Amino acid sequence: MSSTTRAMLWDRLAKASLVEGALPEAGEAASPWFIRVMLGFAGWLGALFLLGFVGAAFVAIFRDASSMLVLGGLACAAAVAIYRVAPKSDFMAQFGLAVSFAGQAMILVGLADVFKRFNPTQFAVCFMLLEAVLFVLVPNYLHRVLSALGAALAAVWLIIDAGLFAFAPAAITAAFLVLWLVEFKFERHGPLLRAGGYGLAIAAVLTSVLHGGLWLGWLVSRGHGQPAGGEAVQWLGHGASVLVLVGAVIALLRREGLELGSGQGRVGLCAALILGLASLKAPGVAPAAAILVVGYANGNRVLAGLGIAALLGYLSHYYYSMQTTLLFKSALLAATGLALLGARLVMHRWWPEAKETSHA
Amino acid sequence: MANPRDEILDWSEQGRIAPGRLRAALEAGGALPDANDWRRFLDRLLLWMGTVMLACSAIFFFAFNWAEMGRLAKIGLVEAPILGALFLLWRLGLERASGRAVLFAAALLTGGLLALIGQIYQTGADTWELFAVWAAAILPWTLVGRLAPLWVLWLALLNLAVSLYYLTFGFLWGFVFAPQRLMWMLFGLNTGALVAWEACAAAGLEWLRERWSARVVATASGTLITWLALTDVFDWRSSSHWGLPLWLGWMAAAYAAYRRWLKDVYVLAGGVLSAIVVIAALFGKSLSHSDAGGFLFMGLVIIGLSAAGGWWLKSVINEQDGGAA
Repeated sequence: MSSTTRAMLWDRLAKASLVEGALPEAGEAASPWFIRVMLGFAGWLGALFLLGFVGAAFVAIFRDASSMLVLGGLACAAAVAIYRVAPKSDFMAQFGLAVSFAGQAMILVGLADVFKRFNPTQFAVCFMLLEAVLFVLVPNYLHRVLSALGAALAAVWLIIDAGLFAFAPAAITAAFLVLWLVEFKFERHGPLLRAGGYGLAIAAVLTSVLHGGLWLGWLVSRGHGQPAGGEAVQWLGHGASVLVLVGAVIALLRREGLELGSGQGRVGLCAALILGLASLKAPGVAPAAAILVVGYANGNRVLAGLGIAALLGYLSHYYYSMQTTLLFKSALLAATGLALLGARLVMHRWWPEAKETSHA
Repeated sequence: MANPRDEILDWSEQGRIAPGRLRAALEAGGALPDANDWRRFLDRLLLWMGTVMLACSAIFFFAFNWAEMGRLAKIGLVEAPILGALFLLWRLGLERASGRAVLFAAALLTGGLLALIGQIYQTGADTWELFAVWAAAILPWTLVGRLAPLWVLWLALLNLAVSLYYLTFGFLWGFVFAPQRLMWMLFGLNTGALVAWEACAAAGLEWLRERWSARVVATASGTLITWLALTDVFDWRSSSHWGLPLWLGWMAAAYAAYRRWLKDVYVLAGGVLSAIVVIAALFGKSLSHSDAGGFLFMGLVIIGLSAAGGWWLKSVINEQDGGAA
């Protein structure tokens, strides 16, 4: 946002007695998502060279798991110190990111060596704890998003490893929704909530779009993540996705002060039920739709765009998923598509176009 | 005005918004949707999701191997929705969102029809021909549709057709050992499309001014020229040695276009990332495994470049004049 538009916005809020004093200087929040993506990628690239430096300078360390763990831990501690000592410096933020990435990589390699025989469960628990600690200790937005993403993916891995992978999309989507639906309620913890929320959103996209795909198949083929409880538990897991989406719409309607029986409420619930039912056999639809709707509700274009990308990505992936025949998928998509278009016609009756002033 | 959400949240984090008034501030600043916005959003969501799912359903349906269904029944079943879509388009018109949605669906279904004809009559056509004919068939609709997503679909079909053409004739023409030629073709195609897109948008075509679509094309063009520059840096087999000079030209043109002429920080951020990758490759290729100092130097250079790039991009955003930041 330019300085002029910022000043205009400040004036508008000042007239509504919502702010006082002079316009603050532009902060980190003014950085759009693509600058953060650029910084994150560059930080990862820098970390590769820093790892190369450690490997070349201290060859012996790479041969010893405990040394790797110690040095990795020291690097992570150094990253925390860097972020805390110089929170405003762009260079130090990038340096801290690269040092942290390098430290995490050394810890992971050390852990893999300590456990000798690769054990996904122990590995995922350790990684999740590491990311959770870094999420709390490192006071940097980008770093927190990446830590939350890492922790969430480790949690998904644990769910899959327990044989409950039908619940993975519902669990990760529910966690994502809780964070974003209380975004404006706990304003003091806003930076933590939003960073965690973005990490969970990306994890939800990865989990929903790739659900039943490459990495689940890989896990199952290795003898881990065998479905628990048979077909019934699978259906329960898919049913949980329906409940999460419908629950999200109910929570959203309540947050906006709308009755469930109002035109808006009925339209929202109707659409949630249609998409939820489609998710019983196409489990990526509900999480993607939830991201899109919650993103829009919170005025968050990045999140809404992520939801659209997830929906399109899932439809492309769905064509190749092997769980059902193309004929079944075609029938499911046709039924869902017709139901959504029908819901649109019903919406025009239940919620006619009018100049309303209240918030929906 | 750009989306004020991030700015208001930033002020809230600085303690400049009165406690408990964040939601009120977001509403006052126009950051949250009102009832009319919600209705429009749900209307578009139901329309586009429903339409795209129906079109995908038809494509999935004919991808299923229908041995027992007659050829006329098959063709009839895919032509009927196309005709239905065109009838709806005639009734609704292109000015309405629903009209544009059915046009998009008809464009998708056309691909299904062409694939079906190839399947039934065993035309012997290569896959690249399917996408090329598909692109040619929907070109008139694309021209009259005035719909950015339709142009993106059309360009994606052209990219697919070109890629598959080179993969098909790679052995014949000896291109299989020269994938750079394909990359050059795709780079030319996407860069030409980007220039045409921006020129038409600047000439007054309002519907082309949605930045997301131009950014998709710019991403394709920038990624390809970065990849071509890397082939020069690492001197891969059959490298043309034009990648690096043209990458420099592309970077200069992108700077002039998106910094001076039309401010778009997304493309500038892509340029910064491209520069970091190419510079890292230039220095990194000469490093040996034991060159600890070299690795440390390179790590610090990348960190410094990205920090400086981030600072510069933020300063561009915060400039006095607004733009597509």
